[in-house]
Amino acid sequence: MSAMTQKRVIKPQERIPQIPEKIFLFRSCTGSMEYPGTEHCVEFVLKKLGIEVVKDPDQSCCSGYILTCSGYPAEPSLAVTARNLAMVEQKYGLDTYVFCNGCFGYNKELKHILDHHPEYKNMANDLIGQWGYHYEGTSTVYHVQELYSLLLDRIKENVVRPLTGLRVASHYGCHYLAQQYGILDEGDMPTFHEEIYEALGATPVFYKERRMCCAYAVGRGFTHPENVVQPHLARKFDSAKAEGVEIMTTTCPGCNVALDREQPKLKKRGFGPYDIPVVDLGQLIALALGAPIEEIGFNANSTPVEPVLKKLGFFKDDYGVWERRFVNE
Amino acid sequence: MPRENMTQWDDKLYQKVDRYNLVPNLDECLQCGKCTGNCPVAALHPSYNPRQIVHDILLGELDRVLQSEEIWRCLWCANCYRVCPVDIHYPLLMMQLRYLALENGYGLKYVTPINKYAYRSLECGLTFVPGKKGVEKIKGLREGIGVEPWPKVSKKAIHEYGEIFKQTGAYDWMKALDEVQAKGEEKPVTLTFLGGRLVDERYDTEEGN
Ligand code: SF4
Ligand code: SF4
Repeated sequence: MSAMTQKRVIKPQERIPQIPEKIFLFRSCTGSMEYPGTEHCVEFVLKKLGIEVVKDPDQSCCSGYILTCSGYPAEPSLAVTARNLAMVEQKYGLDTYVFCNGCFGYNKELKHILDHHPEYKNMANDLIGQWGYHYEGTSTVYHVQELYSLLLDRIKENVVRPLTGLRVASHYGCHYLAQQYGILDEGDMPTFHEEIYEALGATPVFYKERRMCCAYAVGRGFTHPENVVQPHLARKFDSAKAEGVEIMTTTCPGCNVALDREQPKLKKRGFGPYDIPVVDLGQLIALALGAPIEEIGFNANSTPVEPVLKKLGFFKDDYGVWERRFVNE
Repeated sequence: MPRENMTQWDDKLYQKVDRYNLVPNLDECLQCGKCTGNCPVAALHPSYNPRQIVHDILLGELDRVLQSEEIWRCLWCANCYRVCPVDIHYPLLMMQLRYLALENGYGLKYVTPINKYAYRSLECGLTFVPGKKGVEKIKGLREGIGVEPWPKVSKKAIHEYGEIFKQTGAYDWMKALDEVQAKGEEKPVTLTFLGGRLVDERYDTEEGN
């Protein structure tokens, strides 16, 4: 069936029929290294919302990024996906939740190939069988942003630091939105992030190039920074700036690297300046749910988040500890 | 760029590009151009045209597509795929087209910058591990927010990840890229694809090769 005729608006309850008590959280390499606060905040938020999180050191990288750069053939990535998912299925019997659109896109795409091409599934199973794994394909891969959407009411109840007046804009990321094997909401005009900002007390802002990708997939940040990535991002940020965006959120550490770390380079080239800090959606929720500022990990950002924190009334006291001035909580 | 002549055409180009049989519906392309209209790279560079690339592949214009610098500009954002009325998975086509370009001696410089990260991922089980200085910085940041200084990846995970690369021939593939790069010029790379047939000959069927 063509994507054009498929039902386009999927509600969180349709995507995740039951609120899970326990989930497997898939570690993201870029998240762990570039923005360690992301994973920490995802866990903080889920714990606050009553969800138990399981992680496992036997999980490896999803291996998808370099594959899609044509950096190696597809066979190892098919086997790696089968191995990780089989490990989760066999050991825990849980669904896998990722917090990186890359992990989401690659795991789902490769899982789709495994599930629809028996020869690849057999190949992968023969290979990972030597360590006792067997990939069945009984579990589902979700993104934690879908769970946030499902738990919107619980988020609302748990807000202790409303982000009143903060103009927040979204970047959903194309490896989420382009997924045709089931995503939340609607690929063209999704609004579930905006609903979350509202729940946090912030003001959602729509800008023209909201759907535009971060340009960092398939290594273009390495190979085409000047003639593709930067002019592309300048268009995105120009439209965000025109709407008065104060902070942007992502649901992918990879997108976050592109949107955050490219801004100083754009400035050098004469674009902007934009000075729009970019943080993970989980970090923004954690901020509103009362996570200690030091633990959110905003200091990993290249485009400083401090101006936004100051606007919200936070300041560093004489001991360098974050405090909040006006308490409207 | 030299102009192509008739002998550079290849009717079987489509099958050669789609070696993994992931885009079996390419010949259903309507040439409607929705992909191009929705492509952010085409918006920046009108010479990049996904509709034209699909057309060229179907017609078998071998050298024109493989030599083009444009094919390396695609961002893999899948905006094209999302609006395609016949669901042509253009990004997976692009990934495989680039394999063929490498095998014909084009575009190596767009892949080799990422190769060192592929090697490191075999050592650490994580992709995009930076150099020593970067690692120290990460450890500092992680400790600062109160998590373990380095993400927990077990020896078992790293070993099995590496073995998967060795046993599928991907490791040799990476070395082949290195060797050609060391020669300092754009040369065809010999790459091996196993196409789901690596461990067991049972899967070595006639069709689909
Ligand atoms: S959108 Fe699809 S059918 Fe239309 S030209 Fe592009 S690939 Fe062909
Ligand atoms: S995946 Fe490539 S061709 Fe398709 S819209 Fe994105 S940049 Fe254009």
